[in-house]
Amino acid sequence: MEKMLEDNINAPAETVVGPSVKIQGDLNSEGNIRIEGQVTGKVKTSQSVFVNQGAKIAADILAGNAVIGGDIQGNLKISGQLILQNTAKVTGDISCSVLRVEDGAQFTGKCAMNGDTGPVVSTKKEKVPQLEAEE
Amino acid sequence: MYYYILDQHNLPIDKFERLQTELQGLLTEFKISGECARVTPLRSVADLVDTASQRGAKTLVACGSDDTFNLMLAALRGRDFTLGFIPFDEQSYLAKILGVDNLFTGVKTVAARRIEKIDLARIAGNYFISYLEFGVMSQDLKSANWLTSLKLLSTETKSYTIRIDDSYNVNIDALGGLAVNIRSTSSKNETIANPTDASLDLLLLEKLNKADILRYRKIIAMGCLEEVPKTTVIKCKKMEFLEPRGANLTMLGRVVAKFPATVEIIPQRLRMIVGKNRTF
Repeated sequence: MEKMLEDNINAPAETVVGPSVKIQGDLNSEGNIRIEGQVTGKVKTSQSVFVNQGAKIAADILAGNAVIGGDIQGNLKISGQLILQNTAKVTGDISCSVLRVEDGAQFTGKCAMNGDTGPVVSTKKEKVPQLEAEE
Repeated sequence: MYYYILDQHNLPIDKFERLQTELQGLLTEFKISGECARVTPLRSVADLVDTASQRGAKTLVACGSDDTFNLMLAALRGRDFTLGFIPFDEQSYLAKILGVDNLFTGVKTVAARRIEKIDLARIAGNYFISYLEFGVMSQDLKSANWLTSLKLLSTETKSYTIRIDDSYNVNIDALGGLAVNIRSTSSKNETIANPTDASLDLLLLEKLNKADILRYRKIIAMGCLEEVPKTTVIKCKKMEFLEPRGANLTMLGRVVAKFPATVEIIPQRLRMIVGKNRTF
């Protein structure tokens, strides 16, 4: 499943929000959504949401699956798999079935798996400073 | 009963009369003759649609250019007809979409009477099946050479505001865009520009660098904006073009409305006679 979602990252989406687009309101779609611009409001689809690096979202996201590489301020309610890429910055609560957090991703909030209120995680992973090259 | 609306439009009179004779011969040959009426300065396409309605015609066939068909659609005003199209113009865009390449194929298609239900779009009381253009997409990019394309696509962007499905506003600095129901590359299997999916597609073209303009200019001219990087694609049932006020919305180069304007889709509204080689 994880592989399939990653394979779909570059697949054509039904809704594509380009880098210079600003959306205000409730963005609903029946297909995949790819966001490269800014969204304020709510994002909802039964399919997958791909938030690319550089995207800025101040909205709750309800989706089947999600791959996050941008900046999100809002709650993520994902029924399937959620991937936080190394460029992701999420401030909000997460609910999902499967979670993968890549090195460098930043997340501040509560995390509930399978809709359980279960163990609450609050993390903020700092980026590892790069070693200076020896001369 | 079949009602044929014959329109000379921009054709030279001798060519039109030759096509008219050829058409009447073919209609008799295929046993689909009905009433033929010719558009004149005193009898517009709309007048002929009214006449067809009064005479109880069930099938209206536009014989002429894309404009003839579009004018016929606009004149329907909610009346229920099955529509057909026989092209008199080899460059017809609709003919390509509907799979009727020429006069002979057009008549053969009407005779075969393969009917598809397709979505109909509405703007300011007018109906259309193809697409609307705005901004740089209203320009004649198809016939432009690379230098003209470069010049046209290097113009400054405009700030557009479009409200979608009464749900959210889209603000974008764009060169222009399209509101598409059907285009010549439409397909039932495609998610974009599918005329049977009960949706319109809004495609917005952002500013490109020179290398991308030269690389994608032909794709842009074909209207396949989704293949161009950074293009915004939104599927919806209703779009309200709010800003900039006064900007033109055109269809095949003809201005049909100005901002602010609302475009809506009416799902599966149109019964259309289509050819085997249709693009959807």
